[in-house]
Amino acid sequence: MTTVRSSSFMTGKMPTWCPGCGDFGIWTSLKDALAGLGISGDDGVCVYGVGCHGNMYNWMKIYGFAGLHGRTLPVAQAIKLVNHELPVICISGDGDGLGEGGNHFIHAAKRNPDITVIIHDNQVYGLTTGQASPSAKKGFVTKSTPEGVTDAPINPLALALTAGATFVARGFSGDTQGLTELLKRAIQHKGFSLVDVLQPCVTFDKVHTYMWYRERVYYLDTSHDASDKVKAFEKAYEWGDKIPLGVFYEEDRPTAEELEPALKCGPLAKQPIDSSCFDALLEEFI
Amino acid sequence: MMSSVTWKIGGEAGFGIMSSGTMLAKTFSRQGYKTLATNEYPSLIRGGHNVITVRIAVEEFYSLRKDVHILATLNKQTVDLHKDELNDDGILLFDPADFDWKPEHFSRHVVCIPIPLKEMVRVKSVDPVMRNTIVLGASVALLGGVFENLKTVIADQFQKKGEKVIAYNAELAWMGFDHIKKTAGDVRHFYLKNAEKREDQLILNASEALGLGAVRAGMKFSAIYPMTPINSVITFLADHAKELGIVYKQPEDEIAGMNMAIGAAYAGIRSMVATSGGGFALMVEALSLAGMQEIPVVIDLGMRVGPATGMPTWTESGELRFVIHAGHGEFPRIVLAPGSCEECFRLTIHAFHLAEKYQIPVFILTDKYLNESQWCVPKSMFTKPVSIDRGKVVKEEELTPGQMFKRYRLDVEDGVSPRSFPGMKGGIYFNNSYEHDEFGLVTEDPDMRKRMVDKRLRKFQAIQKDIMSPQVFGDDNADITFVTWGSTTGPVREAMTMLEHQGMHTRCIQYFWLYPFPSEETKSLLAKGGRIIDVEQNATAQLAGLIREYTGIDIQEKIVKYNGRPFFPEEIIERL
Ligand SMILES: Cc1ncc(C[n+]2csc(CCOP(=O)(O)OP(=O)(O)O)c2C)c(N)n1
Ligand code: SF4
Repeated sequence: MTTVRSSSFMTGKMPTWCPGCGDFGIWTSLKDALAGLGISGDDGVCVYGVGCHGNMYNWMKIYGFAGLHGRTLPVAQAIKLVNHELPVICISGDGDGLGEGGNHFIHAAKRNPDITVIIHDNQVYGLTTGQASPSAKKGFVTKSTPEGVTDAPINPLALALTAGATFVARGFSGDTQGLTELLKRAIQHKGFSLVDVLQPCVTFDKVHTYMWYRERVYYLDTSHDASDKVKAFEKAYEWGDKIPLGVFYEEDRPTAEELEPALKCGPLAKQPIDSSCFDALLEEFI
Repeated sequence: MMSSVTWKIGGEAGFGIMSSGTMLAKTFSRQGYKTLATNEYPSLIRGGHNVITVRIAVEEFYSLRKDVHILATLNKQTVDLHKDELNDDGILLFDPADFDWKPEHFSRHVVCIPIPLKEMVRVKSVDPVMRNTIVLGASVALLGGVFENLKTVIADQFQKKGEKVIAYNAELAWMGFDHIKKTAGDVRHFYLKNAEKREDQLILNASEALGLGAVRAGMKFSAIYPMTPINSVITFLADHAKELGIVYKQPEDEIAGMNMAIGAAYAGIRSMVATSGGGFALMVEALSLAGMQEIPVVIDLGMRVGPATGMPTWTESGELRFVIHAGHGEFPRIVLAPGSCEECFRLTIHAFHLAEKYQIPVFILTDKYLNESQWCVPKSMFTKPVSIDRGKVVKEEELTPGQMFKRYRLDVEDGVSPRSFPGMKGGIYFNNSYEHDEFGLVTEDPDMRKRMVDKRLRKFQAIQKDIMSPQVFGDDNADITFVTWGSTTGPVREAMTMLEHQGMHTRCIQYFWLYPFPSEETKSLLAKGGRIIDVEQNATAQLAGLIREYTGIDIQEKIVKYNGRPFFPEEIIERL
């Protein structure tokens, strides 16, 4: 394995996130996780959503696809189907991945492509200056909910579990070391891995601050059985004085790519264009 | 003896109406006849009334005519609905158990031939769904066909279902054939003249031709959400994915489909989507993404009746303006529209070539009539050599590991910069939806913005030299010039044949390359004067509008049809 340094991912551009934004922690952990796994910028792809989180590509030197708001998952699945040797990671927001891209989220989880999805879960739409996101909790006052959120929040972990995700975890951007380890496990997991990251938006959320999270978060310990889906659900719904972090659920199931007959002889991108069976194809129509 | 016969079969959905049409067409196309089978399934009528019309002729032809020589019916409703379409001396095949039709029930002279279909399947104790096979046998007899030819078609059709199924289908067909020979041996007026077999012919629809073209062009990935009328592209690609080593993915919606196709092309292979108007509406944002990121992608838009759900199973060519203008922002694209099944195959291959040459989205506009009719095409049309040129792609050895790659190099005259693919050492760039610099890094710099727009739009000029002139058919000195595009070309050409027989010479200009619009070619083709008549399968004469926009020529005479049914050549002639 070649050594990859976290610093090799610098592009020369500096982040434009607000000072103190939780996105910094995720960025640091991602670089460390990739470096730790020996994945260099040439041999992986990040697919970015649109939002503050998605701006990351400008300071992240790795093949990057910065597409449309909410559409990371279809792009990521296709890249993986074309070249399944490349690690593919989605950098998505709670608005991006669960609102605009909610349908893709469910279907991607169900297909079990070997990709990793990092949800920057800050309960707000940061880039559009602080409206409520689908994961915003009841009563939360934002620019679009002056009387407080009235809807029930989407629980990204429970949604992923229901949809069929095979790796479901939660991290906290205030603990980069813990998050790095989670990201490494997620990237190494064969199948659809979700890492929902509690990410304080220091500008538009004065409630869920680093302090607020620090007083509540704790890591699931060895007493949690990550192969037990029912237990995983129970833990996913624990939210209040105590908020669990770590791997909630992990399952071994064939990936979408493993089940695709055309990929048996290697990545599509490396297969020659071959029309030798074309004549037989024509015969069917005669 | 006839040189052309039109046969129509109707019955309830689920009674093998469509496959009877295909089998009849194959029985004769294998002997060298030209055939066309076109279906209608008005989903509003209870029981789902299905009809397929097959024209069989000795010489090449381009569309159906208003004729119906033989009407084969599996229920009374079919007779009620279609009896007035029968020609004089036309033959009606019916089951007397449904209704005892007599010549006096018809306004024209009709030969009523009863076949006890229900009784026959009962005696044989087979599924009533197989009545169509009896009718097929009877029809081959009425056309003077050889039973053995039908038998081999049956064997091929049911190959996957096994010997037993083949055997009793053949037996039922024989019962129908024999019944005609025994009870109606003297009804020979629709016997077909002999045709000369020159080479093998394929019976396929334009969706299948498009699939074949895509495969021939090296397409390796498609993500297609089901929608009439492009569903048989899905069947074709999914059925052959394994042997061809391609991926067909059913996406959760068209938004996902288009984003997947873009992701796949970005990752290094040729990809496509197919949809109809409503599905394409969902793809429009991603179309603009392809424009910004300069991604080659092929879009098959099978037009059907709109707006909204419209009439899903009927035909229209109303999306020309839509595809030209779809997408926010300004970016280049190419729009092609085949006028026939073989053209669909050829243009599909070309579409993939153009998409990668210019790194842009390329449209193939098809429609329900092309996509769901079974056309008869000589095999040699599909076997011409195809060379695949991936356009500007860097080689890994030209890259400097550790450095970022200038994917969007500005110093390119044609606006097309070489691409790298993810995984190449030294090829890192940002495939960016946001305005970007040469590396794909975000920019809002006014100068860089302008230069990037100019680069993308320079492709328009580069494309000019690839623009293909409209096809011209008929007599260059004719007084009447038809102008048309897409599937309407068939009925126009058929009308021209009919007019020629009446001693009237006409000319047809068929646009299959619609955008960027061939304005110079149009100006010179239309300079000659005479009557210019625009014929289109939409209400607003969209092609005529384009011609006016790009050439200033305002075509006065328009023949448009927008009731969901394809043109009959007679309707064009009537409106001259
Ligand atoms: C189709 C579309 N609709 C709306 C927007 C505007 N928009 C940009 S970012 C964003 C929300 C971002 O929220 P989130 O995904 O939570 O990311 P964050 O900014 O919080 O990181 C929206 C609505 C857009 N870019 N595209
Ligand atoms: S607005 Fe919030 S999420 Fe966006 S950069 Fe600032 S702190 Fe981060």
